[in-house]
Amino acid sequence: MDFNEAAGTNPIDQTRVVGHAHDRVDGPLKVSGRATYAYEFHNEAPDAAYGYMLGAGIGKGRIEALDTAAAEAAPGVLLVLTHRNAPEQGKKGKGSARAQMASAEVRNFDDPVAFVVAESFEQAREAAHMIRVRYVTEPGRFDLVAERGNAKKPEPKGSTLADTAVGDFEAGFAAAPVQLDVTYTTPDQSHAMIEPHATLAIWHCDRLTVYTSNQMPNWAQHGLASILQMEPTDVRVISRYIGGGFGSKLFVYGDIIITAMAARKLQRPVKMALTRPQIFNHTSHRPATIQRLRIGATPDGAITAIGHEVWCGNQEGGTFETAANQTRLLYAGKHRMTSHRLAVLDLPVGNAMRAPGEAVGLMALECAVDELAERLRMDPIELRVMNDTQFDPETGPERPFSSRKFVECLRTGADRFGWAKRNPKPGQMRDGHWLIGIGVAGAIRENLTMKSAARVTLDPQGQVIVESSMTDIGTGTYTVHAQIAAEMMGVPMERVIVHMGDTDMPEAAGSGGSWGANSSGSGVYAACDKLRRVLAQKAGFNADDVVFAGGKLSQGNRSVTLESLADPQGLSVEAEIDFGDLTKRYAQASFGAHFCEVGVDLATAEVRVRRLMSVAAAGRILNPKTARSQCIGGMTMGIGAALMEQCVVDTRHGYFVNHDLAEYHVPVHADIPDMDVIFLEELDDKSSPLKAKGIGELGICGVGAAVANAVYNACGVRIRDYPLTLDKILPHLPPMV
Amino acid sequence: MTDARDSVSFLLGHAPREIRGADPTMTVLEWLRGKAGLCGTKEGCAEGDCGACTVVLAETVGAGLRYRAMNACILFLPALDGKQLITVEHLAERALHPVQQAMVTYHASQCGFCTPGFVMAMFAAAHTAPVVDRGAVDTLLAGNLCRCTGYRSIADATLDVCAAPVDDQFTEAEATTLAVLAALPKGPLALRHGGRRFWAPDSLATLAALVEAYPEAVILAGGTDVVLWVTKQFRELDAVIAIGGVAELRELTTDGGVLRIGAGVCYTDAMAVLAGLHPALGELVRRIGSVQVRNSGTIGGNIANGSPIGDMPPALMALGARLVLRRGVVTRELPIEDFFLAYRHTALAPGEFIERMDIPILLEGAVLAVNKVSKRPDQDISAVCGAFMVVIADGWVADIRIAYGGMAGVPARAPAAEQALLGRPWNEATIRGAMAAIEEDFSPLSDMRASAAYRATVARNLLLKLYLDHAA
Ligand SMILES: Cc1cc2nc3c(=O)[nH]c(=O)nc-3n(C[C@H](O)[C@H](O)[C@H](O)COP(=O)(O)OP(=O)(O)OC[C@H]3O[C@@H](n4cnc5c(N)ncnc54)[C@H](O)[C@@H]3O)c2cc1C
Ligand code: FES
Ligand code: FES
Repeated sequence: MDFNEAAGTNPIDQTRVVGHAHDRVDGPLKVSGRATYAYEFHNEAPDAAYGYMLGAGIGKGRIEALDTAAAEAAPGVLLVLTHRNAPEQGKKGKGSARAQMASAEVRNFDDPVAFVVAESFEQAREAAHMIRVRYVTEPGRFDLVAERGNAKKPEPKGSTLADTAVGDFEAGFAAAPVQLDVTYTTPDQSHAMIEPHATLAIWHCDRLTVYTSNQMPNWAQHGLASILQMEPTDVRVISRYIGGGFGSKLFVYGDIIITAMAARKLQRPVKMALTRPQIFNHTSHRPATIQRLRIGATPDGAITAIGHEVWCGNQEGGTFETAANQTRLLYAGKHRMTSHRLAVLDLPVGNAMRAPGEAVGLMALECAVDELAERLRMDPIELRVMNDTQFDPETGPERPFSSRKFVECLRTGADRFGWAKRNPKPGQMRDGHWLIGIGVAGAIRENLTMKSAARVTLDPQGQVIVESSMTDIGTGTYTVHAQIAAEMMGVPMERVIVHMGDTDMPEAAGSGGSWGANSSGSGVYAACDKLRRVLAQKAGFNADDVVFAGGKLSQGNRSVTLESLADPQGLSVEAEIDFGDLTKRYAQASFGAHFCEVGVDLATAEVRVRRLMSVAAAGRILNPKTARSQCIGGMTMGIGAALMEQCVVDTRHGYFVNHDLAEYHVPVHADIPDMDVIFLEELDDKSSPLKAKGIGELGICGVGAAVANAVYNACGVRIRDYPLTLDKILPHLPPMV
Repeated sequence: MTDARDSVSFLLGHAPREIRGADPTMTVLEWLRGKAGLCGTKEGCAEGDCGACTVVLAETVGAGLRYRAMNACILFLPALDGKQLITVEHLAERALHPVQQAMVTYHASQCGFCTPGFVMAMFAAAHTAPVVDRGAVDTLLAGNLCRCTGYRSIADATLDVCAAPVDDQFTEAEATTLAVLAALPKGPLALRHGGRRFWAPDSLATLAALVEAYPEAVILAGGTDVVLWVTKQFRELDAVIAIGGVAELRELTTDGGVLRIGAGVCYTDAMAVLAGLHPALGELVRRIGSVQVRNSGTIGGNIANGSPIGDMPPALMALGARLVLRRGVVTRELPIEDFFLAYRHTALAPGEFIERMDIPILLEGAVLAVNKVSKRPDQDISAVCGAFMVVIADGWVADIRIAYGGMAGVPARAPAAEQALLGRPWNEATIRGAMAAIEEDFSPLSDMRASAAYRATVARNLLLKLYLDHAA
C-alpha cells in the first residue's frame, strides 16, 4: 500500500479499540517472569555452552602478546577465540556491524580481545581472567574540547545535512538590536537499559539462528550476514522480548557476532551476555556535544537571526549528533544557519540514543531561548509564542507543517501548571532551606516513517494472527498491533494473536526514532486492509461499504462470520506500507511543552524536581496508557540528563570511568515526583493512515532545559555545562544567611 | 566443627532442596538462572545496583514467617540455608498474584526486565508493613531501577496493592511452611568446593576459634561488599567464614544507657532501634543502599571494610560509640575513631573480628544532626557525610563531637572545629570560627562524586545549617 496522499476516513476512525487505554497484552507474561529474553532460551538449546568476553584494557593501540595457555587448559573450557584464530570476516555490515577480533588492533576500550567458551559461566569467566595480554598503547584522541579545532564538516547523516543556511546569518545577527551568544555542552550519556545485550547462537547445518536483544532484527540479520560472509536468508534473528533499548540495541555488537562465530566453530549452541561494565565501553553511547547558539531579536522579541553550531566527536567513519536539527524547524527568523562539525575521537563508538539530536539540542536551544527572554524582559512563553511558525522556516510557506500545536501545548500547560504564579526574578521563592523555581521548555521531535510489512492470517476459529519482524522494546507494540488488527477486522482484542521479532516474518520497521508504532502499525493496517478486501470478495460483497464488526462482515442486512470464510489452513495475506514523499512536502513533527518546578538546597546545592508536567500533541494517541507511560519514561530520562547522567571520560586512557549503575546515575524513585502528561486532541492525516505521529522520544525532548530553566529561576545560577551537579551550582549560590 | 553439615538446605518455593558440592561463592542469581533454570529473576548489573534480581527470603521469626527482599546477585548460595527462597515464578503458580495483577493494571511494566524485581520487592512489602504514601514507595523501591516507566505507574500500583497486608497462597500455606522449615537440617556448615572452604559456625565461640585458626579467611557478614570482590573484581576467595548463623552476634540490647548492636545485625533490624535513639539516625540508615542492601548488609561490615565513605562511622563517632573486638577468648574495647588507621587500614589484628558496637544513649537535651550529602537522593554513596552531636547549656557549648566521611582517607573527627566550639557561646560568630577551623582538620580530594572545593564548602555549610536549625 502506498501512502502518498492525506488519509481519508478509514476504519481506524471508528476508534472502537484504537485510542483506548488497553492493558498491554504481554503484561501477564512479564509480571510473572515468563516472557523469554535473549539469554533465556534454555529449551531451544539445553546444551548451550557459555561465553565470556574479555575486553581490551586500553583505549587505543594493539595487542602485542597474548597468553591464552592457562585459559585453554582451565577446567570446562571449550574454546578460546582471539584474533589469532577468529575466522575471516567481512569488514562492515548493516546496523553498524563491524568485524570483531579481526586483528591485533584495539579500536577502543573493551574492544574484544578474547572470547572464552566453557561448560559453565563461572568456568568461562574464571578462564577469561587467566589470559595475559600485553598491549602497545598508542596516543589516542579522547578529549572533545581538545579536538574541537580539528573537527570537519561531515557527510550527510541519511537525509540530514551537516549545514543549512537561509538569508545572511552573520549580517542579520550583527544587525540585531538584542543579541545572545552562548555555548552549552552536553556530556556522553549511556542508554542504561536494564537488560544487558545478550545472544544465543545456534547453527543448523549452514543456517544460523540467533536469539538476541535487538531493536532492528532485519538490520542485525543483514549486518551479521555481511560479517560472517553468508546470505542474509541463511540468518534468522529472533528478538521477541527486549529489556529496553533506547537506541543501544539498534546496532550489532560483539555479543552477536562473536557468539555466532564461536558457535559455528564448536558446532554447538553458545550464549553470552555483556557484563554491565562492558556495556558502557563496548557498545555505543550518546556522544558529547559543544553547542554555540547565537540568537538576534528585535526589542519586542521577534527573532531575526538564529544560528546553532554543534561540535561532536566519533570514531573514524562515525556519524554526528544532529543536535542543531530542531533549530531548523522550531522558531521563525529570517536569517538562519546551522552546522555540525565532527572530530575524530578514539573513544567508544557514539550512536543514537533516545531522540538523537533533539534530546541534547533542545537542552541548549531551549535554555538559550530562556536567556533571550530574560534579556528582553519578556515572558519565556510569550517569546516562544511570538516566534511560532506554521511552516518550515528554512523552506517557506510551500512546506507547511502537517500539524503543529506548539502554541496550544504552551498555553494549556501554562494554565494547568499555574505558570502565572512564577516570579520572573530568580531567587525569590523559598521553602525552608530550599530555593524554589519554575521553568518551561518547548519540545519537538521529527516524525519519521519507515516502510513496514506484516502478514495477517484469519484462522478457522476466527482468530486473527498478526506477524511481522517488528519489535516491542517496552513501548507497547504488541498491544498496538492487536488493537489495530481488532479495529480493522471487527473482532475483540482477545481474538488477535500477535507474533513479532522474527526475521522469518515479513520485514517491519523495527523500533527506533519513534517510528515504531506508527509505521509498523500502518503495515498491520495495510495487511488488514488487504484481508478485508479478500474476505469481502469471498463473501461476494462489494468491498467498499462492508462493515467489519462483532466477528462478522456485513453489508445491508446480509452478514457472514469471519471464520466461515477462512480456509482450513487459515487465510493469509501480506502487505507493506510504503511512505511516499509526504514527509518532504510537509514538515512533520510531534510537539510538546514541559513545565517544571525545582528546589535547590541552599547548604548543599542538591536539586530536587518537585513537579513536572508535559503537554504533548502527537497526532492520534493509539493507546493512552502506553503513550502516557512512554512520555513519563522520557521525561524521567530528561531529568536524568539534566541533573545526573554523564559518562565521565578518562582523557588519558580513553574510556568511560563510571561504567556501572552505581556510578552512572539514572534517576531513582525519589528523583521523580508524580508527573503527568496531557495529550492534545490531534489527527495527522499526512503522517500515516493511522493519523498518529511518533511519541516514544517526545517525552525526553526539552525536559533537560525545563529543569535547567527552573534551576535558574530558583537560584539565579545558569549552568551551561550539563549535567547540573551540585558542585557546579554550589559556588554560585547566595549566602545561607 | 566436627558436627557441621556439608550441604545447604532450603525451600525453593514450597519444595525442599539440598545443594551439595556447589561453589559456595556462587551467587544465588547465577544458580537460579543457570542450574535451576529459573530465568524469571533477571540480571541487570550483578552488583546490587538495579534490583532486577530481587528475590524474597522467608524465615521463621518467633511464631511466624518474615519475608525479606534480597538482591540475589550479591548473595552467596549458603545464605539460603534454612530459609524459603521465593521467586517471581512462585507467585503466579495458580493465577497472577495481586501484586502482579496491579503491575499489569497500572501499566507498570514496559520492557518488563525490571518487573520481576519490582514484583518481589512489593510482594515482600505486602507481607511486612503497609506502604502508605509516595515517600514510603520511594524508600521501598529505591533499589529497583526502571529505565522505561518513569516510576509513576509503579508507585501507583504499589500504593494500591501494598496499602494493606495481602492474603495469598503463602499466608495460606504458612503453617505448612513453618513446619517444613523446622524440619530442615540445622547446625553449622562446613562446605568444600575444590580447594575452597566455607564455614558458617553457629556460636560465638566456634566463630572466634575459626577466625583465630584461619586468620587469612575472609569474614562474611551481609556480603554486600564481599560478594562484589568475586563478581566484580574476580577475586577467588579460598576461605570464607560467615557470621550470619551466630545468634550472639544478632543480639540487639539496651543495657545501662548503652545500646549494644551485634556485628551480625542487618541494617533493617537495627533501623527501628536507631531511629528510636534519634530520628536522624533512622533517616541515615534509610538512605544507606536500598531495602535489599539493608536486609543483608550490617553496620559491622560497614565499619570493618574501612572505607572513607562508609555512612555509619561518622554518626557513630558523633555518638561516641565504642567497638568490642574479639580474638579467640579475648575481647578489647576501642572508641570507633581509633579503629580507622589509614585508607582501608583498620585496627583489627589477625584473627580478630568485630563482635559488637556499644552506642551510648543520647543525653537529654543533646542535639544530633546527621547529613548524608550525595548526588542522588537514594542509592548513592556519600560525597560528604557529616555528623554532629552538641550539648548546649545556658547558651554555651557544653559538649561537641563532629565527624565527617568523604573528607579524608578515613572517616574522622574534626578536632579543630570541635575546639573552636567547646566552651564558647552558641552563636553565629562561634560557628563561623568553627567553619574556618575545618580547613585545619581536612584537605579533601576531588573525585567523580564531588570536587575538593565542594566538599570543603559543604562541610562548612553543614555546620552553619546545624546552627541555623538549632539557634534558639
Ligand atoms: C548497592 C549497594 C549500595 C550500597 N550503599 C551504601 C551506602 O549508601 N552507604 C554505605 O556506607 N555503604 C553502602 N554500601 C556498601 C555496603 O553495603 C556496606 O558497607 C555494608 O554495611 C557492608 O556490610 P556487609 O554486612 O554486607 O559486609 P560484608 O560485605 O559481609 O563485609 C564487608 C567487610 O567487612 C568485613 N567484616 C564483616 N563483618 C565483620 C566482622 N564482624 N568483623 C570483622 N570484619 C568483618 C568483611 O570481611 C569485609 O572486609 C552499598 C553496597 C551496595 C552493594
Ligand atoms: S542484578 Fe542488579 S541488583 Fe542484582
Ligand atoms: S520496564 Fe523496562 S526497565 Fe522497567
